[in-house]
Amino acid sequence: MKKLAVMALAGLILVSAVLFFPASAAASEVDGCFSEHQRCRENAFNLDAPWYQVMLVLTLCDLALGKCILVV
Amino acid sequence: MMTRNKTVLVALAVSCFWAASMSATRGGALEDRPLRLLQVVETTPAEERSEDAVLVRPVSLAFNGHLLLVADAQDCAVKIFSKDGSFVRSIGRKGAGPGEFSFPSGVCWLDGRICVADKFNYRIQILDASGKPEGGFRVGFAPDKVHAVGAGMILVTSNPTGRPVPEKMLHLFDKEGTLLWEGLETRVSGDPVYDSFKNMILVCPDGTAGFYVIFRSGERSLLHFDASGELLGRIAVDDRYGFKTVRLPFKGPQKSLLGFCWSAAFDRGRFYLLEPEPVEERDLGPGRRVHVFGREGRREAVIDLPRPVHRLVIDDGRIYALDEEGELAVFEVVT
Repeated sequence: MKKLAVMALAGLILVSAVLFFPASAAASEVDGCFSEHQRCRENAFNLDAPWYQVMLVLTLCDLALGKCILVV
Repeated sequence: MMTRNKTVLVALAVSCFWAASMSATRGGALEDRPLRLLQVVETTPAEERSEDAVLVRPVSLAFNGHLLLVADAQDCAVKIFSKDGSFVRSIGRKGAGPGEFSFPSGVCWLDGRICVADKFNYRIQILDASGKPEGGFRVGFAPDKVHAVGAGMILVTSNPTGRPVPEKMLHLFDKEGTLLWEGLETRVSGDPVYDSFKNMILVCPDGTAGFYVIFRSGERSLLHFDASGELLGRIAVDDRYGFKTVRLPFKGPQKSLLGFCWSAAFDRGRFYLLEPEPVEERDLGPGRRVHVFGREGRREAVIDLPRPVHRLVIDDGRIYALDEEGELAVFEVVT
């Protein structure tokens, strides 16, 4: 009986841990960050603007990627 | 004996003089031949354009001798213009279905059909001239530009993603989407922003089965590839065409970018390189001067345009260009 209670408790902890840290959701959010980063860079490449502006936009893309990953 | 020695000496002197004069003549031909300065007249039709004809963010041009295609990335459409620059029709709309686009960034003619790099749908679409979808294929990267090379093959370019590993920027497919070759790896230094500039390329099909690759900065050789992706050679561009240096505040120690070419075209055996122009003393932007080079890299002429342009295609002395306002301009070269 004691063994069963320990196992049930362990199972409960495991389930709540899985529910509390949805690993797959986090992974997909990180993928989303990289996808947005790529969109941002591709936009910069196709700006056709003077290079200083392109450099600024590319730098902003990298900063946004860093922030996005930290938030996730 | 003396007479024989004299004869040998005279022969030597004559041959030295001949060699020196030939060398001078050859050098002179390269250095002193006057550069042809060509002017243009603008022939863009002044028409009242419908909403469909307005170019919101044109990023790629392709001409087949009769019709000009312009990929409008923002408007998710390919706009078609006649040889004289009059609007003909617009094809495509925003979406992910057949005949729909998400940021079409490249366009080319492929055996009378229209081939589009549908960037954020990660695919290449093929349509007939009226815009009816005729197939295509998915790619595992965001395609940037497309070029028809060889017998029905499609060369697709991709931009570096910023990852610190070498990535291939050229991808050759057949019409069915079978990958035939990938190559030209990115140059990686550890600074993704600096590397982005170092790896900006322009591609010009050579009119037969191969193509040329031109780096927009830091490299003054034009790379010639055949249709199988084999590097055929490097064409060193005439020294008289210089780099335009710009210092940008990249990560780490200060680095300079050697701006080489803003846009390029190849027509009837000649390269047309658009020289970048300084902007507000610290930047480089699109220019108004096009330098004409022969196949061996020697500069033959310079064409002055009335205003800076971003992208251009050239067909037998006629220049189709996108100006700073994003408007299509047509220029005729006059000698």
